Order: sequence, then C-alpha cells, then structure tokens
Amino acid sequence: MSTFAPPVQRLITELGKLPGIGGRTAQRLAFHLLRASEEDALALADAIREVKSRIGLCEVCFNLADGPRCRICSDERRDAAVVCVVEEPSDIIPIERTHEFHGRYHVLGGALSPIDGVDPEDLRIAELYRRVTGEPEEGRDPIREVVLATNPTTTGEATALHIAEQLREKAPQVTVTRLASGLPVGADLEYADELTLGRALAGRRALS
Amino acid sequence: MSRRSLRTEAIVLRSIRYGEADRILHLYTPEHGRVGAIAKGARRTRSRFGARLEPFFHLSVNLHLSRGDLHTVTSADTLAAHGRLRERADTLDAAARACDAVARLFETDDPSPAVFHLLANELRLLDGDPVHARPAAQLAFRLKLLVAGGFTPQLASCASCGESDHLSGFSGAAGGVVCTACEASAFPLSEEAHGFLVAALGRPLAEAPDAGDRALRQAERAIAETAEHHAHVHLRPLARVRRHQSGPTIRVPG
Ligand SMILES: [Zn+2]
Ligand SMILES: [Zn+2]
Repeated sequence: MSTFAPPVQRLITELGKLPGIGGRTAQRLAFHLLRASEEDALALADAIREVKSRIGLCEVCFNLADGPRCRICSDERRDAAVVCVVEEPSDIIPIERTHEFHGRYHVLGGALSPIDGVDPEDLRIAELYRRVTGEPEEGRDPIREVVLATNPTTTGEATALHIAEQLREKAPQVTVTRLASGLPVGADLEYADELTLGRALAGRRALS
Repeated sequence: MSRRSLRTEAIVLRSIRYGEADRILHLYTPEHGRVGAIAKGARRTRSRFGARLEPFFHLSVNLHLSRGDLHTVTSADTLAAHGRLRERADTLDAAARACDAVARLFETDDPSPAVFHLLANELRLLDGDPVHARPAAQLAFRLKLLVAGGFTPQLASCASCGESDHLSGFSGAAGGVVCTACEASAFPLSEEAHGFLVAALGRPLAEAPDAGDRALRQAERAIAETAEHHAHVHLRPLARVRRHQSGPTIRVPG
C-alpha cells in the first residue's frame, strides 16, 4: 500500500511513465513540484495542456505543427524541390542546427522493422511517394532530390534502401541521396569500428 | 577468467534502444546460447562501441556477469561486420529474418554451438553474395536450424505409418511427410516440394537447391508447421518482394 496521499501517489505514477524516469526519480520530481510555487507548478501543467491541444502534425510533412502546416513548410524561402526524409520530428532539430540544409522535410514516424511488425504501410511512406510523384504546388519546382536521413542503424538503413528502391521505379527522374557515413569529428581512428571506418574509406573525397 | 566476467564470441540478434543512450542486446553465443546484455552509452556518437553492437555483427565480447538476466558489455571486438549485406534491402531483410528465427527457436541459455555456427555461416553467405537471400536459400537455413534444434521433420517415410510410397502430404502434428492413407491432418506436399526439403537437408547451406514458387510455399508451410508443433514457435513468413536484377543504388549529386 502506498504511504502517500492518493493525489501525490498519482503524480508519482504519472511522472514514472516518462522515458528514463524510474520510481525514485519520479518521487524526487513529485516532491520538487510540491515544494515549488503554485505558479511554477501550474505553468508546467499548462504547458503540457497547451502542447496537447495545439500541436498536431503538418499536413505536408508530418512534422509537429501548431497550424495546418509546420514552420518549415510555411517558409517560402525553403527549397521545396529538395526533401529530407527523417524517422521522427525530433530528428529535424539536429539537421536544422547544422544550417546546411535549406530544403523541406518528410517525417516517416519510425523505421521499417519486419521482425517487429513495422511494415511500409505503418509509416508515412506512401505519402512520401505521393509527394514526390504528385503535381508541385503552384509556382513551385517539382521535387528533384530526396535525401534519406534515417538513422544509420540497421532499421534506418533498411528503411532507406526500401525507399530508394521504390523511388527508382516510381520517380526515376528524382535523385536519391543518403547521408554520408563516417567518423565523428574529434574521434581517434584507433577506436573507430570497422564498419564506420570502412564506409568512411569507401566515401573518401579528393582534397583539392 | 574470473567468475564475474565472460569472454565469448557472439552474434548480435537484436539491439534495442534503452534509456538516454544505452542499448539492450540480444546476443547468441556458442556456449551460452541466448544472452541478454546492456551496453551503456552505446548510442553516443563517441561511444567506444561505435557500430559494433548493431544486429548481424559477429563479435568477441567481454561480459560482466550480473545475477539477473542482463549482463553488461565491457568490450567488443569485431570478428565480422558483414558490411556488404547492409547495402541491399533483400540481404538485410534475410539477415533480420534469420536472426529472428534463431531468437524465437533458441530462447534459452542452453549451449548450441551448431546453431551459432549455422547463423554465422548464413550471415557470411548473405554478406558474400545476394543470391543467398532468395527464398529457397532462406528456407534451407530454417530447415537446418530446425535440425540443429532437434526438430528434424521425417522426410523418408510416412511419419504416421512408416509407409515409404505414396507420400503426398505433410503434417506438422505427425512430424513429417505422410502417405495418402494418413493424410487426414495434412496439407498436400508436391513431389517437387518434398524433393526440395530432402535436398536442402542433404546439401551444405551454400549450395541450397532451388524450386518453383508453389513448391517453395509448400516447403515454407512444412517448416512453419514443424516449428509450431514441435518447438511451439511461430516463424515469421518470408518476405515476398519483387526482385530486381541489382540492388538499389544511392547516388550522390553533382
Ligand atoms: Zn511541414
Ligand atoms: Zn501413412
């Protein structure tokens, strides 16, 4: 039986459902909130409520959006002819931080994993094909490049290969690219694993 | 070797994201069967494990043993990365299904070096030539896996009455091929499918026989029913994708 009053126990239970939060941490956070000012604690509750009621998925790319379209799809300066395919909305953030990509995105909602029962129809892959093969919006160029930026994991690779194969059939005019695989800057060669180092060698570039 | 640690060869069957930056691995080892292990910090870009803990890696690992189910990976050296099988959708899919079949059929820590070497061989073949990803070759692997687990289907004579002629069906419940008189709980197995099963058992994995699509479907069903009746395991069906002459290529612009 719980030693806490039911509302406290309920808070601990809810916090414990968050990823990476165990029972002890949930308890610590609950007591932190109990000690915090009413204003601070309710600000958190309001933020959660607002995000749940106002944030949905972009109708074009399935990124998080507070309207029908996300900020990137509504930005006229972004190149609509280049689409970067990612697994999750959270993958957009690190790519945006590079300031190297000026196109738009397409969020799949996961990666293919036949043994876990995640098949192409469970992801937004058909929507991608429709986007690539469909008529461009008025005054816009058709899509000319799809950048596959799924994670460099086994499931991410499987997803990229599957999409590349399908796009080659459905849209042969579109260039399909994959993020290069290589060594993390600042790492020692000595500690590099063979797969990563092998790909870094295969993808080496001439220095001019 | 101290009793708290273990150095062993292992093949990564599965790698699951866990917590902030960790991975939980399902490993298959020759002497300790299936082993669960956690690799702390494995998802950080600067992790010393790098890509080594991805599925299909054949490794030499050091495990710190804990009393519970989950050991801790303290080091991992690559014996085979199988980089080429990762470059094609069909070989990647065949490797995933091979590892999944091993994970399902061999869940315990019972040692089975034969299973380990069969899986290592399958991954090496898939890495060497995509021809080994064709359905017939994948079925030959599954059949050999059943044999390694002691679930060999009877193929020489009727599994019900011993009759060696008029073999026309297959019954997972009976444990193999059955004759026309014993067909009640069986499904029809063509001569071609029967021949395929016999040849697949008799030949090395690298020389898996071929058969027509219908025969392969029957062979797949025979293998699936054997796994269900005798190992109580459901094997995922093979992927039936349209095949291309070559794998997809990823072009670099400019
Ligand atoms: Zn959008
Ligand atoms: Zn019989």
